Formats: sequence, C-alpha cells, structure tokens
Amino acid sequence: MFERLYRRLLRAYPAEFREEYEAEMLQTYRDRATDEPAPHLWADLALDLIRTAPKEQFAVLLNDIRYAFRMMRKAPLFASSVILTVALGIGATTAIFTVVNAVILRPLPFKDPDRLIQVAEKNDKLHLPNFTASVLNYLSWKEQQRSFEELGAIGNASEVFSGRGEPEQFNGSPISPSVMRILGLKPIVGREFQDGEDKPNAAHVVMLDEGVWRSRFGGDASIIGQTRNVNGVPTEIIGVAPAALKVMTNSDVFVPLTIDPGREFRLNHVILVIGRLKPGVTRQQAQAEMDAISRGVGQQYPEVKDWGISLVTFYDTFVTPQLQTALLVLLASVGFVLLIACANIANLLLARAVARQREIAVRTAMGASRSRLLRQMLAESMTFAVIGGGIGTALAFAAVRAINVGLPPNVLPIPQVTIDGTVLAFAGLATIGTGVLFGVIPAYRLANADLNETLKSVGRAVSGSRPVVRNTLAAAELALATLLLIGAGLLVQTLLQLERVHLGFDPHNVVTFQLSPPQSRYDTPKAVALYRRVLDTIREVPGVKSAGISSAIPFGAGAYTRTPTTTDNPTAVPPGTAIPIDWRIVSPDYFKTMGMTLIRGRLFTDNDGPTAQQVMIVSHETAMRFWGSDDVIGRTIRPVARTTQYTIVGVVSDVRHTNLNQEFPAMYYPSAGRLWPSMDVAVRVDGAADAVLTAIRQKIHDIDPELPLANVRPMEEWVAASAAQPRLNALLIALFAGVALLLSALGIYGVIAYSVSQRTRELGLRMALGAQRSEVVGLVVREGMTVGSVGVAIGVVLALALSRVLSSIVFGVDVRDPKTFVSVTLTLIAVALMACALPARRASRVDPMVALREE
Amino acid sequence: MTLTMFHILVAVADRERHGYAIMQDVASRTDGSLRLGPGTLYGTIKRMLHDGLIEELDERPDPENDDVRRRYYRITPQGRKAAMAESARLAKLLRQARATGLAKA
Repeated sequence: MFERLYRRLLRAYPAEFREEYEAEMLQTYRDRATDEPAPHLWADLALDLIRTAPKEQFAVLLNDIRYAFRMMRKAPLFASSVILTVALGIGATTAIFTVVNAVILRPLPFKDPDRLIQVAEKNDKLHLPNFTASVLNYLSWKEQQRSFEELGAIGNASEVFSGRGEPEQFNGSPISPSVMRILGLKPIVGREFQDGEDKPNAAHVVMLDEGVWRSRFGGDASIIGQTRNVNGVPTEIIGVAPAALKVMTNSDVFVPLTIDPGREFRLNHVILVIGRLKPGVTRQQAQAEMDAISRGVGQQYPEVKDWGISLVTFYDTFVTPQLQTALLVLLASVGFVLLIACANIANLLLARAVARQREIAVRTAMGASRSRLLRQMLAESMTFAVIGGGIGTALAFAAVRAINVGLPPNVLPIPQVTIDGTVLAFAGLATIGTGVLFGVIPAYRLANADLNETLKSVGRAVSGSRPVVRNTLAAAELALATLLLIGAGLLVQTLLQLERVHLGFDPHNVVTFQLSPPQSRYDTPKAVALYRRVLDTIREVPGVKSAGISSAIPFGAGAYTRTPTTTDNPTAVPPGTAIPIDWRIVSPDYFKTMGMTLIRGRLFTDNDGPTAQQVMIVSHETAMRFWGSDDVIGRTIRPVARTTQYTIVGVVSDVRHTNLNQEFPAMYYPSAGRLWPSMDVAVRVDGAADAVLTAIRQKIHDIDPELPLANVRPMEEWVAASAAQPRLNALLIALFAGVALLLSALGIYGVIAYSVSQRTRELGLRMALGAQRSEVVGLVVREGMTVGSVGVAIGVVLALALSRVLSSIVFGVDVRDPKTFVSVTLTLIAVALMACALPARRASRVDPMVALREE
Repeated sequence: MTLTMFHILVAVADRERHGYAIMQDVASRTDGSLRLGPGTLYGTIKRMLHDGLIEELDERPDPENDDVRRRYYRITPQGRKAAMAESARLAKLLRQARATGLAKA
C-alpha cells in the first residue's frame, strides 16, 4: 500500500526521469522499507522528493527551451515570422485593452466612486432625461436632503489670466468649496477653497489644475500666494488641484462658485450638481427622498412643477453607451485578429509538424515517450509565444504613448491611459493563451502520429495527415475576417455619412477664435461697443470677406445653451407646449460669415439693441415645430423661464450645432442687446488665413492689450474634431479587418498550397491518365473554395447575429445593410479564389513523369 | 563537484555497485549521518552519467537477492581523475585547517 503511495508521489518527477529511474527508485524504497522504521523513512523520502523533484522538472524545462531555440536557429525565417505575428497580435490587443481598462474597468480617480452621484434634473414633458440643475433648486435640495453627505455644484466659465506677459484665456469652472471634499481630492500644493469663499463679497481666490500648473507655471510651488489678474480682478492663487478634478470639470482653472439668490431665477438650469451618498444609503433610497423634495419644491414654485430629479451614477456620467460599445467592439475585433493569427501559426506549425514526422517517429522508436514529445512541442510554441508576447508588450507601451499623444481631446473621458498591473496580467494571459492555442493542436497531432505508418512510408511523401483540422482552421479564419470586414464596412460608411452630413453652413475658409472681455472692465454696453469695434476693425483687414460673433459657433468651445421655449399662438402643437431649443447670441453678419441662408424675413441690424423691440431669428426647424408651414414672421416666442415676448423677424437655415448625427431647433438673439461672457468670433477669409490672423491679433492688441485670443482654429477643424470618435472607430476596425483579410488569405493559401504539394503524385497520375490541366485546376480550386465558402457563410451568419451590437455607433446605414454584406462576401470570395489560384496553377504544371518517378 | 557526487565516486571507486548499495555504503561510511534519498541519488547519478564521471553496466541480478535485476555503476577514468583532484583539493584544505588550528593534527 505504501509502495503504491510512493509510486504515486514519483509522478512529481518529469516523465523521462521516471522512465529512466522509477523502477530503481521503487526498488530502493523496497530495500529501505525492510531496513528502516516507517516514520523515519517517510520523513526522509518526503524531504528528498521536495528537494529534488522541482530540480529535475526545471532541468527538463531548460532542456526543452534549449531545444526550442536550437529548432528556431535552424529555421530563422519561420521562427521570426511566427514571433512577429504573435508580437503584433499581442501588442495591438494589449494596447486596445489598456484603453478599455483605463476607461471601463479601472475605478474613476475619485475616493469611493461608487457612492458618487450626479444629481440631474429631468423633464418628461420636454423629453429631457438628464439636464443641468437650476441654481435655486440646488439651494432647496441642499437645505432639505438627508441622503447625501454633501452636495456641490460646478458651473462653466472662461477665465482670462493677465499681468505677466501676454494675457491668456483658460477654460474655467466655478466650483462649490464642497466639490473637492465630495470627490475626496486634496490639493497638490497650497490649499483648497473654504466654506465662505463662495459668498458674494469674499476675497478673490483661484486654484490651478495640475497640468496647467506644470505646463504653464513650470510646476513652481512658489506661485502659491501670488496675485494675478483674473478677468481683470487681482486674484490670489491659493492651490493646485490634482488632475482628477479636470476629469470631472474639463477645466484648467477653478474659482469659487458664488451664488447670489437675490439675482437668480428658478428656471435657470446652468449648474452640474454632484453629491456623495452617506454610508448605507442606496441610490434608490436617495432617489425616493429627492423625488419627495422635488415634489415639494414644485408645489411651492409652480414654474418648476414639471421638473424632477434623476440620480445618475458617475460611471454612466463618464462612460457613454457609444464609447463603451466602441471600445468593446474594438477589443473584440483585435481579439479576432489575434485568433486568426493563432489559427495561421497553428497551420504553419502543422505543416512543419508533418515535415518533421519522420524525425519524431525515429525519436519515438528510440524510446522518447509521447507525453515527452507533446511537452517538447508545447515548450517550443510557448517559447515562440513568450518571445512574441514580450516584444508585443513593448509595442503596446509604444502604442499607448502614441495614443496619449495623438488621440484628439475629448474622445476619452480621462486625460491619459496607462499600462498597469491589470494590463500586464492581461498581456501575460493572452501570451500564454496564444501559445497554448496555436501549439496544442500541432503538438497533439504530432505526438499521436502513427509510428508504423510514418516509418513504413520511407521514400514516399507522407500523406498521413488528415486535412480536416487544417481546413477547419482556414475556414474559421475566413469566418472571423468576414465578420470584421462587415463591421469595418458599416463603421466606414458611418464615417462617410457623417462627413457628408449637410451641415447647414460652409466651414471652408472660416477661422474662429474666442474673446472673453473681463466683466470687471466691460459691462454689457461697453462689451457691445468693444465687439462692434473689433468687428469693424477686422473687416478692414485685407483678405477678410466678413466677420461675425456668436455665443457658440457650431462644434466650438463655447457654451452650449438650450432652454425650453414656448409660444402663445402655436399652430402645429397645442398651446402651452414647450420645446427645448438651442439658443445663441449672434451679430448681424454672423449668418453671412457662416454661409447660412436667410429663408424668410430679415437679418439683425445694429439697431436691434436693448431699447428697441425684442426680436429673434429662428431656425427653419423651430418654425416647423411650432407652426408647421405657416408664415412665422411677426409671431412671438418666449423662453419658459422668462416673461419677455420676442418677435420673430427672420427664419434661417438649419445648422448642425453639437452633433453631426442630430439636428436640433435653434433660435438667435441679436448681440446688440445682450452678450455671453465669452463670444466666438468667426472670420471668413479670402485665401490664406495665417497672414490675416496675424493682422487681426495685432489689431485686437491695439484695441485692448489685455484681451487674449483663445481657441484659434479653422472652422473645418472644429467640425473634424466632432467626428474624431467615429473616425477612430472606423480607422482602427478597418486596420484590423485589413490585417484579418491578409492573414486569412495567407491561411487559405497555405492550406491549399500544402495540399497540392502533398498530392503531387496523385495529380501527376491523373494527368498521366489523361486529365486536362483545366480539370486539375478545377479540382484544386474546388477544394479551396469549399473551405472558403463555408468560412464566409459562417462569417455572414455571425455578422447577422451580432450586428445589433453596433447599432449605437452606426449612423446613416442599416446594421444589416445588404450592400455591405454582399460586397464583403464577394470581396472575400474573390480573395479566397486568388489564394487558391496560385497553388492551382502550380498543380497544373506538375510534370507527370517527375511526379510519378518520386514513387 | 558536489559532496554527494564525491561520496558516490568514493562508493563506486573500488567496485561496481547498484543504487541501493551506493546509498548503504555512503550511510555506513558516514556513520548513518548522510542518507541519500532516492531522488537525490538518481538525480545525481543522472548528471554524473551525463558528465562521464561514472558509467552504467548491464543490468544484472543482485547476487544477494536473485529475483531482482539491478543497474550497476562504476567509476570511469575521467571520474577517477576528477575524484583525485577533489581529494587533493580537500587534503590541501585540511592541511591549511591544521596549520591554523581549525583541525586536530
């Protein structure tokens, strides 16, 4: 009985060691068992086993790896192509996974992000499921709620720094002092805002974002306590906020959010409210409490009775379904490419395995065990995989650096992606998985090859290998390539559709920049005069055709403003209906500058000031929504939050403002009457923009040397940036699909070429017996195309089943678009045909005499 | 050369022995303080065969125990040379130890 136990324990040693010494060791055990007391003997044996078994295993492993390297040196081209394929596959997969990990898997850079909530407002009647919050409502919530440790608010503004060198404009956010506490962030240097610093008459203080502090202020800690002019007001720099605050706000500088309830009105939805749930309070409980509070506020202030509260998790706030889908689709795609690469390498190894069958058979005959051969083959493929995976991981580091540098801003919700432990573990697992995947089939086949068959076939080509495995692998490759190509086809068409979208304006030859005259020096009348002067001066610059201002150019950096609006005399909707409408403040020449067309009525003039009749220009869509095809000139319109009636004087063409794939109704206020703190200036030029911009810069400097030009960019660039995510999707998946197509073409070529080389004798015999060349070609092509069509068919079925996944990131094309499916199928059939044609031609050139003489 | 190797060379220097006999010989010459476990013994034997320090003879029955066939090992000329070199090294080391009072004369 103990002997059986010892025999069992001996399995800890490698097979070849057991083959050699197991009998001897058992004999030794028997000898000692008669001489020594059992406890003593077993203690001795156990210690001996623990000390020596790992040593023997390691020796064998080292041996296998040495053998693998020897084999690689013998076939360097084969080895380097396998390693390169693995490296590219692992590198690409790891790079994409790094992004998925950073965006989806890794927790947001805040303390306990699970308990962080965005408190959004919603209005079912207006179909606004997630809207910014009203300032006064926020104050009511703060007073009444018990579910959150604290609530905080974030606003939007531009901040102009001046006083040292050229003035500079930054994206800014006014934040409540509680925001840093809620997010669990501590300043890097200096201090954070204190309660009370958000009171209307508090001292002026400002915090900098870590990135701006490092890039613009050299990471100099002595800046704390210094004073700079911010928007024309001397302001003390009190601290530097960690980069995480920028993730939340997308801003570079922060000032306390000052709320003056006396000057607010309840329907002013302009702030982002966040809160941290108290421990033990669930989101559902908090939602129930906030619903009750919201009902109470609605009863007290009837103007907000249609508004409710929606608690949104931070994850949903940051990771949109589109982004999530795009990333997962990309990860799956690159994973498929890796699988195809594995199948290809497996096929290469299989072909080589057959070539080595004789060598293996001889070694088996000389006493090498199957398990040993299997292990040696696996060690070989693992060595390939580990070298390739190592190079691939290095490539991934380079790719991630390129992603961080080259990715257009705002494609990802986080500023940087980094390779961390999770990513490295993923790369390691992918490497091992790859090695097993492409190694195990050839190794298994080889170790189980029929010894007698192989040895008997001396002098003959070895025919023993069944083509089923290789054909299956080639078909699987084609199926995955089909799937990827269809996905790529749909996303490329999405991009084309987006680029062909009728923008409603002409972005060519328009340059834009942003001005933010500080409110401390420019009250509204002064600012109106400033802009009038700026526009007049710009118009005099040679090469300028026209110039205008807007509170937000389409796709620009300005504030996007949308407000529920109603009319007393609608004809297309019931009276009292409110519709959310984008509003902008524009100058008379803005429409002409942007190339928009006036459909009816008139444009603004400089006389549409605050004392004149309150007028408005609406977009075609707005007119249609309220009044259908009725004439709207002279009718009035009113934002729900206001009492002023605005008379419509003109209708202009529709413009895509924020989304390429979505059109929204718009309305325009004249800039002669009101302004936004920062205004976009659009200038239509005649030819080269650079010289014109230099001149404009000088002119504005002459008017006010403390007024910086921010966000200077051609209009075309703003539009292009808005398609950055779809462009990236299309580019990457097209790249992956291209690689997949190439690999699978090589795969099917390899299989057919190999099959032809194996059948040389048979084909020669057929030709000797009178078969025509065309028949031989047909024979080979038929074999290849059977594999090809099965693969493509499976791919099409898979694509049909999976296409729905893409629906949220595809635009302007059906996810089961027949044109795409048919053209991809035809492409793949054509590629498969070409891949078969070369070996078929070679088959038809077989000289019967030569082929038969090989017998 | 490891201590185990040297012990095995000493054990097979004057006569060929099988594995268990080597083990017994080492144990008796060390008064039972060094017992080579099977893994240590055959792991070392494998390496010594590979390095050509010992050689394996045909399998044959143990004269004391007729029913079991055993593998016998004996020292090779190369093994003898290596063992002598090791002995010389150890002897020199022992002389030095005596000179400094670390060993009895």
